[in-house]
Order: sequence, then structure tokens, then C-alpha cells
Amino acid sequence: MPPSNSPPPSEDPVYVNSLKDARFGIAFWAIATTFVCVSAYLMGYQREGRALTAEQINPILGIPAWFFWSVLVPWVACSFVCVVYAGLIMTDDDLGTDHTEELEQDIREGTDVHELA
Amino acid sequence: MNSPEPVRAELATFLALVVFMLISLGLGFVANWVGRSRTGFLKSYFLGNRSLGAFAVALTAAVMSGGTFMGFPSLVYKYGWVVGLWICSYMVVPVTVLGVLGKRIGQLARRTGAITLPDFFRERFESPMLGLITSVLVLFFLTTNLVAQFKAGGVILKLTLPQSIQRAVGAEAPAGSGADRMAAISKAESDGEPPKPAATAAAKSNNFSDRAYVLGLVFFAVTVIIYTTYGGFLAAIWTDVFQSLVMAVGVMILFPLAYLAAGGIGEGTAAGIAQTRDPSFAFGPGATRAFHPIGLAVSFFVMWAISAMGQPSTLVRLMAFRDTRTLRWSIIYLTLYNLVIYIPLIFIFICARKVLPNLTVSDEVMPRMVMTLANPYIAGLILAAPFGAVMSTVSGWLLIISSGLVRDIYQRFLRPQASEKEIERASYAGTVFVGVFVGILALNPPELLQLIVVFSSSGMAASFLAPAAYGAFWRRANGLGMIAAMVTGAGVTLALYAVGMVWSADGYDSGIGAGGKFAPVYLLGLDPCVWGISLSFLAGAVVSLMTNPPREALVQRMFEKDRPLHLHS
Repeated sequence: MPPSNSPPPSEDPVYVNSLKDARFGIAFWAIATTFVCVSAYLMGYQREGRALTAEQINPILGIPAWFFWSVLVPWVACSFVCVVYAGLIMTDDDLGTDHTEELEQDIREGTDVHELA
Repeated sequence: MNSPEPVRAELATFLALVVFMLISLGLGFVANWVGRSRTGFLKSYFLGNRSLGAFAVALTAAVMSGGTFMGFPSLVYKYGWVVGLWICSYMVVPVTVLGVLGKRIGQLARRTGAITLPDFFRERFESPMLGLITSVLVLFFLTTNLVAQFKAGGVILKLTLPQSIQRAVGAEAPAGSGADRMAAISKAESDGEPPKPAATAAAKSNNFSDRAYVLGLVFFAVTVIIYTTYGGFLAAIWTDVFQSLVMAVGVMILFPLAYLAAGGIGEGTAAGIAQTRDPSFAFGPGATRAFHPIGLAVSFFVMWAISAMGQPSTLVRLMAFRDTRTLRWSIIYLTLYNLVIYIPLIFIFICARKVLPNLTVSDEVMPRMVMTLANPYIAGLILAAPFGAVMSTVSGWLLIISSGLVRDIYQRFLRPQASEKEIERASYAGTVFVGVFVGILALNPPELLQLIVVFSSSGMAASFLAPAAYGAFWRRANGLGMIAAMVTGAGVTLALYAVGMVWSADGYDSGIGAGGKFAPVYLLGLDPCVWGISLSFLAGAVVSLMTNPPREALVQRMFEKDRPLHLHS
């Protein structure tokens, strides 16, 4: 996200908390993507000079080892993080007044922004 | 291997579909009754009065459609364990799809009073042109998608109609066993395309010359149009929740049955390697073909976890949840739902290699497994769940389109002074009109439509994600920048798919992905959604910075504490 202009003095707390959630979400996604893709590639992908055979499955509970460590364990770990984040860290905020009726009124009175140019 | 029992299974499936349709109609009437007690027709009809609970948000905002639910098992069976990597970004979807933009979209929707996506962008950026372009893109993408979904619904009903009814309307009874016909259903649900000739002859000629198809289409269209028109947004949501729960129950029933029948997951893996004669069944990039090279693995973390944030259906739900506590609980519910659905699905269809060896058409694997392992009536119910997903997808999209027509075109441009009663009538008429129009198109859909269907999911994300994210978090973003972001995102994605289609016609095959005549160009090995979304963000930032900043009053209204000021003062 490009940098914003100088922040106003009375910054909205919902905006501030949402920005924290967004930063966490994107960082979480980036870490998960990196870990899963890199470890899967290193442990479980056929590559030039490293042909994998059935003997290298090394099953854990019947599941190929690469899948167990690169997909299953991260999935369970990420689920734990999601639950902890949403349950304990995300804040509850007041989303404010619903201005639906006001917009309806503006449309009826023609005071909404309506020039296409 | 136990053979499926075609007649019993077909009857059970048909009965289950009828039950589903009746429940959907019932939900429509209840939703209408609940909605009548609320004030403000448009907000109630198109947005459920911003009162969605956690369960509804979780199970409708980011859960697989019926098509993917049916197509995913086929991929697992065909390519092996790597398909688990293909889907596994669902491990972070609850936090990305609901958490990154959820709270802020919910707040801005209330602050602007927006009840549709075009409304939202128009008010957030004070740009009627941006609102109009959003309306046009939404209408274009969703209408074409709806035609495919209507067709899928019509084909499914055609294939499950008892032969006595088919004979009564003078239609030729479909050939093939019950499982063959269910495979055709699976194919229809997967992508809206007619089933492959090799799969069955039952699905041939799905157009107006095929009376059974027309009958199925009419049943489907009438049911969906009635309950959607009558029940509005809440009816669409409730049917979605209902089918999601049935899918979850189905997976929980199937997993132990598949595990016991195969003798363990390892047995399934060994059978898969033996049958494909390729150890890559247990590894990446997949058996018999480089289905999922590492570039696509990264791309699919973008595809499922990031692009889903920009889908209109997701954004509309983020405008409709009740409060932030609801949002938090919906993340928790969705996390648990994904965990109990997708991982067992992978195991089940690895085991399928042992239970149903050497299927020539992998699309058959879902219905065959269900009918092989489960009681026929439970099988019917499980197979009806994806059909319910088609219905709920259709009803949700119908409402997004009709809300665009009524709010963003009729009310904004044609009849601003329309009374609430007039808007109510226009909304009902708009929903019926869109449903009938799409139903007529589905009688004989053009071939090119499939390209749009395939590309539209990525195209919509590439169009709407950047404006939604910039709108939520960047003060400097302006209307012109967001128009550039939308046009660039849609244009880049479409171009990569169109070039891929042209090259495919000349016999080109990139050798990666699932292939086929609608395969896109994977530039540098990445899916088009990565390019579309990235360039959309870039275009939005560059054009915003090169043009005038937004009005200070607008920025204050969107980024500072909510104040009781008039919207357009």
C-alpha cells in the first residue's frame, strides 16, 4: 500500500484497528505461503536431479511425510492462530451510525453526487 | 467393489432434490415474513438489514461453491496428493477474506449508507462514473456466470428426472447407468459445461431441442426465481447455510466409510501410484502431468486467499454482517469448517483410488464413491447438497444483479423520486426479469460463454479488490485511480485467458495446470489472477498519484471519527 499523507489528528479507532487486522492478515498469509510452498518444494517436489520414488514417501499415519509437514501441520497451526486471533486479539469496535436512510433521502432530493464527469 | 444401484440411487437423488427445492421455497417464505417486520425495504431485501449472524457470514462468504465441491474430488483422484497443496491456502482464508477488509468495509458501508457494491464505490470515492463501471462489470460477469449456473441446474434436474416423467413429456430417456448419469451431474456442477461424451450420452443436446433439459431448466428456474424474489437476501443466505451444513455432514459420513473400505490412506496412495504408474501421485507436481508446479502453488495462495476478498458476493456479505463480534465469531466458525471439510475430502479421494480403481473419467469419482459407500437415501441427500449450492449461488447472484438494476440504474438515473412502494415493486420485477432473461439465454448458451465463466472469477477479483482495499485504507486514492485499477485488472486477466484460448486452438499446451481449450497463458508460470491483481493495484496507485487528490471533506468523513454530518454537505 502506498504511503498516506499526514494522518489527521482525530483518527478513527475503527480505521486504526482495521489497519492492524489487515497488516496481521497479510503478514500471516505471506508467512504461511512462504513456509508451505518452500517446504513442499524442498520435501515433496520432483525436481531435476532429484527424482522421488515410492520408497521416499516415508508415510506418517499413511500420509506422505512432505504433505504431513508442509500442509497438514501448517493447516492445524494456522487454524489455531486464526481462532486465537479472532477470539482473543481482534478488538470489538462500534461500526457507527448506519446512514442508509440519509443516502436514500439524498437520492430522492437529488443532493447526492450524480454528475458522471 | 460394490456396484451402485442405479434405480434406487436415482430415485433417492431425485427425492432429495425435490426436498431441497421445497425447503428452499419454505425458506423464501420465512425470509419474506421476517423481512416484513423491518423498516427500509431496499436494505432489508438486498442486504438482510445488515443483520447477518456469525454462522451465516462464515458459511456463505468464503465456502466453496457446489461446482468446486464436486470438481475438487476429481482432481485429487486424478493428480494425487499435490491437490492438497492446491487447496490448502484455505488454512488462512478466514483471516484474509473476513479479517483484512471485513471491519472496515462494514464500517464504510454504514457510513456511506451503501447497500450495493456500485453504491459503495460511488459514495466512497464520490464518483458516479466509478459506480456505473462497477454496475456494468458486475452485470456482465454475473449474468454470464448465471447462464452457466442455470444450465448446470437444468442438466442436473434433467438427469435425475424419473424416466416416467421424461416419457410423459416425450423426451428420450437418457442412456447410461445411474453412476454414469451422476458423473454427468458432477461435470455439470463442476463447470457448467456439458458432460464429456465419454462420460455419458445422457447429457447430450442440452438446449431448447431437448425437452427433458427444457423441463429441468424450467423447474430449476421457477423454483429459484420464486424463493429469491419472495425471500430476498435472507432466503439466499439461509439456503447457502443449509447446503453447507449438509455438505459437512456428508463429508463426515464419507470419511470413515472410505477409510475402512480402502484399508487406510497408505493403501490409497499405493493404489494411485500403481494405477497411474507414476510416483508423482504421492508428490508434486502431480501424477501424469505437471498439474501444480511451484509457481502455480504460489498463485493459488493468491487465488483462494486473496482474490476471494474481491468477489462481489464476499464484499456484499461484508456490508451485511451485524457487528464486529459477529465478524470475529464468523472467522472462528469458518476456520473450523474448513478444517473439517477439506482435509477429510483429500483423504477420502486418495482412498478412492483403492475403492474405485482405474476410473476412466475422474469426474465420476464423487458420485460413485457416495453411491458405493453410503445408503442410497443418504447418498441422495449428500449428492443433493452441491445442487443446493448451485441454487444458493444463483439466488445470491440474482439479487446482486437485480439490486444493481434497481438501485444503481433505476433509482439513481431513471426514477430518483420513486416511492418505497415503487422501489419494492421494481425490486421484485427486477429479480423476476433477470431470472427469466437468464433462463431464456440458458436454453441455448453460446460457446464463448464458457471462456467468460472460466475467467470471470479471477476477473472480478482483479477488478474489485484494489478499489476495495484502497477505499478502506488509502486516503489518497481517488475515483480516477480506481477506474484505472478496475479496467486494468479486468483487461489483463481477460487478455491472458483470451490469448491462451487462441493458442490452445492452435494446439499449444503449456504443460502445466489442468490444460484444456480454455487454459490461460501462465506468464512466468503464474496464474493470471496474480498478474491481474498486481497490475490493478499498480494502476490504481499510479493514476491516483498523477491526478487530483480527493476532497479533504470526503477524506475526513471516511477516515475520521463518525460525526453526525450530512453525507453530501
